[in-house]
Amino acid sequence: MNEQEILKKISFNVLQGRFRSEDDGIDEGLEGRPGVEDLIKKGIAEGVSPKKIVVNALTPAMDSVGKKFESGEYLIPDMLASAECVGGAMEILKPFLIKDGVESKGKFLIATVAGDLHDIGKNIVSIILKGEGYELIDLGTDVPTDKIVAAAKEHQVQFLGLSALLTTTMRSMDEVIRKLTETGIRDHVKVLIGGAPTSHEFADKIGADVYCSDAFKAVEYLKLVRSA
Amino acid sequence: MIIVGENINGTIPEVKNIIMVRDREGLLQLAKRQVAAGSTFIDVNVGTGIGSRQDELAAMQWSIDAIQKEMEIPICIDSADPLIIEKGLEIRKGGRSLINSVKADDVNLWKIVRLAIQYDARLVGLAMNETGIPETESERLEACRKIAGVCEEIGFPMEKVYFDPLVMPVSADSVQGLVTLKTISAIKREFPDANTIMGLSNISYGLPGRSRVNAAFLHMAVYAGLAAAILNPLDQEVMSAVKTACALTGQDRHFRRYLRSFRTPAKEKSEQ
Repeated sequence: MNEQEILKKISFNVLQGRFRSEDDGIDEGLEGRPGVEDLIKKGIAEGVSPKKIVVNALTPAMDSVGKKFESGEYLIPDMLASAECVGGAMEILKPFLIKDGVESKGKFLIATVAGDLHDIGKNIVSIILKGEGYELIDLGTDVPTDKIVAAAKEHQVQFLGLSALLTTTMRSMDEVIRKLTETGIRDHVKVLIGGAPTSHEFADKIGADVYCSDAFKAVEYLKLVRSA
Repeated sequence: MIIVGENINGTIPEVKNIIMVRDREGLLQLAKRQVAAGSTFIDVNVGTGIGSRQDELAAMQWSIDAIQKEMEIPICIDSADPLIIEKGLEIRKGGRSLINSVKADDVNLWKIVRLAIQYDARLVGLAMNETGIPETESERLEACRKIAGVCEEIGFPMEKVYFDPLVMPVSADSVQGLVTLKTISAIKREFPDANTIMGLSNISYGLPGRSRVNAAFLHMAVYAGLAAAILNPLDQEVMSAVKTACALTGQDRHFRRYLRSFRTPAKEKSEQ
């Protein structure tokens, strides 16, 4: 296999959502063929640059997954399977990328706010962003405001994602942003919010940087911010 | 999960005719359609109820030979007669086979377990003894213990045993569904390495809306630990139930098989 073939196969298997060789894909009958894990290891062994794998295989494949999700062709399990592939790939590539001096795209702190135990949406965002190459710090659910602000400060994160699924708990987002301001770090952190009851209007009202209706909206926004 | 297509059965009038006149095309159609519908095993039961043992031996030989020449599909050799089972295994020449079945009796149990070892086949063990089908789960489990005991004694691994808890029509006795389910759970508890299998459609005998009852029962049985089912794979409601049951019990990672049935053919098939 030459470099192009390996990159193409990695991309194909991310779209199929196959990390291990025994994994079932979107299409039938792929079990037993090498998945993303084996292909990445093979690529590295054959001297394909880890950066090329990220830029020319993983990123375009995940972009494509995002589009398919938006169009309704891919559903939540499909998206998660692909994101898992990219997350797993990044784990393997991490030491090589560090050695090559390729930096992470930034630190992203994520939490479901106080009083709220919903974690599915937050976890999806977490997996997708990890796959995109961000360094994720996940504080979990029902996280007190002070803890979120303290973690943002301690880890000097560039991005903060807040999730709330209840009309009663979304107000905590407001509190987090006020505390960030009081602590003097509001200007260093982009705040992304999401969850069923939230909206663009609500984001504007509490002074968040952006409202994201799904994980790929967050990816889009982050791309925009980084290119600015 | 393992799906054993049940449609090649000599007690069904059209099938009986196919077997009697040796209608090769007819037989292969029955097999092909079941494979296309998702069967992972094809059951072959050539007992027409009218022929001699010699007729049945010849019919088993003819059926298996015809099917295995045409396609590569594991075969479930369906007979209680060790001689017919052996004939089937012989014709299979080491192809993957499931013997259906043996019960906890003193006449054939040893013989059939030995055949399973000799021909490296898997084996269905019915939760019944020579006096018939016990009414309670504890008596059915007792029958399984007897079969397991013989398997252990002559070195047949539990991984290749498929215990059948037995399915009786709920139309005749409304607690029978529950007895079957409890038997599955009890078998899984006592013999965690063994598998379970059942003939699904008997549950709904005598009732209207049979597919619905079969599908509902399948869900419950899969939750209780059922690993294989003998059923009519052409029944779409039941085959859908196989998918939902596996998906809902964590046996279909990322809902791959479930979702596939809703997709239009995918475009990205360009892997070289």
